[in-house]
Amino acid sequence: MRRLALAAAVALLASVPWMGNETLVEFGINALLLATLAQAWNVIGGFTGYASFGNSVFYGLGTYGTAIAMAQLHLPFAAGLGLGAAMAAACALVLGVPILRLRGPYFAIATLGLSAAMAAIFSNLEIAGKNIGLILPLFRGERLFYELSLALLVATTATVAWVASSRFGAGLVAIRENEEAAQVMGVDTTRYKVAALAIAAVFSAVAGGIHAYWITFIDPASAFDSTLNVKMVIMAVFGGPGTVLGPVVGAFTLSAVSELLASRLSTVAAGFYGLVVVLAVVFMPRGLLDLGRGLRRDGWRYFAQNVRRYRL
Amino acid sequence: MALLAQIVVNGVLLGGLYGLMGLGMGLVWGVLNIVNLAHGALIMLGGYAVYYLYTGAGVDPFAALPLAMLAMFALGYALQRWLLGLVIRSAQLNTLLVTFGLDVLLSYLAQLAFSADLRTINPPYAGSNFALGPVTVPLAPLAAFGVALLLAAGLQAFLVRSRTGRAIRATAQNLTAARLHGVNPKRVYALTFGLGAALAGAAGGLYGVVSQLTPYVGVTLTARSFVVAILGGLDNPLGVIAGGVVLGVAEAATALYLDPTYVNVISFGMLVVVLVLRPSRIFERA
Repeated sequence: MRRLALAAAVALLASVPWMGNETLVEFGINALLLATLAQAWNVIGGFTGYASFGNSVFYGLGTYGTAIAMAQLHLPFAAGLGLGAAMAAACALVLGVPILRLRGPYFAIATLGLSAAMAAIFSNLEIAGKNIGLILPLFRGERLFYELSLALLVATTATVAWVASSRFGAGLVAIRENEEAAQVMGVDTTRYKVAALAIAAVFSAVAGGIHAYWITFIDPASAFDSTLNVKMVIMAVFGGPGTVLGPVVGAFTLSAVSELLASRLSTVAAGFYGLVVVLAVVFMPRGLLDLGRGLRRDGWRYFAQNVRRYRL
Repeated sequence: MALLAQIVVNGVLLGGLYGLMGLGMGLVWGVLNIVNLAHGALIMLGGYAVYYLYTGAGVDPFAALPLAMLAMFALGYALQRWLLGLVIRSAQLNTLLVTFGLDVLLSYLAQLAFSADLRTINPPYAGSNFALGPVTVPLAPLAAFGVALLLAAGLQAFLVRSRTGRAIRATAQNLTAARLHGVNPKRVYALTFGLGAALAGAAGGLYGVVSQLTPYVGVTLTARSFVVAILGGLDNPLGVIAGGVVLGVAEAATALYLDPTYVNVISFGMLVVVLVLRPSRIFERA
């Protein structure tokens, strides 16, 4: 029943470019890519409990991998996505080993400066077009980009569903709940954490690659845009970190609300995200999905219970 | 050689300011166990407070510092009492997320209220300097360095000697025992966060004099405050200033010998190296 509903939802989403107008498709591509980023973050942030504020770095590597392959090496799009994903995975492995030894706030802060540092490096690279950026070959296929983004989101969500039900995922949750205990129980914590980060990296990079080819122009500031970190983290947390569908629901909801807000007052969207995460953590720390269940069970007292549980 | 000496002087003077930034962050972290990702945003707000006191009311930036600190203390007290206090007992991930959201929100509000233009607090003596042997010592950064040292020493004295300071340290060591001795943790936590915010406000005002303010300086300053707090250790305010000096000199040397665009890379590299080498230091605090 649940699977049937999910399949119907995916089919409905897939039919959007043939029914909706151009604006809706454009909004759809952005929402699907953001949902992919939130879902990828969910693997490291939601399941493993390591709050990464630097995942946009993988997205940026994906955009640059694709752009370098297509604009400089004249390779096809698929090869570009591959190069971007490989660069992101390599970055996750190289950086992951030292910074994933750090716990809690240490890890979070270490990831905070990541996108700024990477932007500085790429703005000095000749092959990446220095700080001017790169222009990709033009390809006007909104429908194709939409379907690709949808396929990527489905693949990411399927991976997360596998993580949630596998031994690997159980290890990640064990790390989140008590890392020492997990280690004692025989979980190879470093390998698990690095693998989780690498999974997040690969999917984020492919999202970046699709976006790069769609927009056809990239530069260091847009590729390593730190507001993406804000969005993906907040969408995942709002929807329900550590759940399979929460980040997707959160991403769609917040994308739609911020789009509506932006159509009224273009500057309000940025502040809106900050407000959402503050309120979400205080009143519904387990996300939108749990909110639905809690409201049915306890009504409005659900919020008061959450506050009472964690206040001083 | 003279160039190197000049770099060291510039780096040390800026570093004192980084130390002051680390001080507020370290205090909150050590006592409340909150890593305040909005610390940089509080610094930014303090900077704008001093900027508007100077350009709007003509108050000298250094005279405006106590006013900005007072305002930031009130803001910090309120934030802890009515917002962070609500999540303080949940997983640390949640306090990180709330302060992260706060950072986004404050930067946004600052951009609305103050615009995204670069601002510098520019008193008439901003360009003055004097020669000391082969090096030039800029006056305003020197004064900023002095104020940072003064505040660090003041904080040290406050924590060691005053009754409230002792209550703060007792709470950091053992919340339950402090409660049994009549300490009201809600009040102590709010006071501590207020103090941290006041120190951030002072750092912001001084930063506006020696550098440039935008609504977005927060994130990089948060990361720097964090490195400095760890470099210095959380138990010793003057040690934190020394940590700031190390970071300041490293950045000044990078800007000269490599390229100014690499300053962020070096800052980040140092952050990772420091984190990997000394994370246990934090837990050894008294």
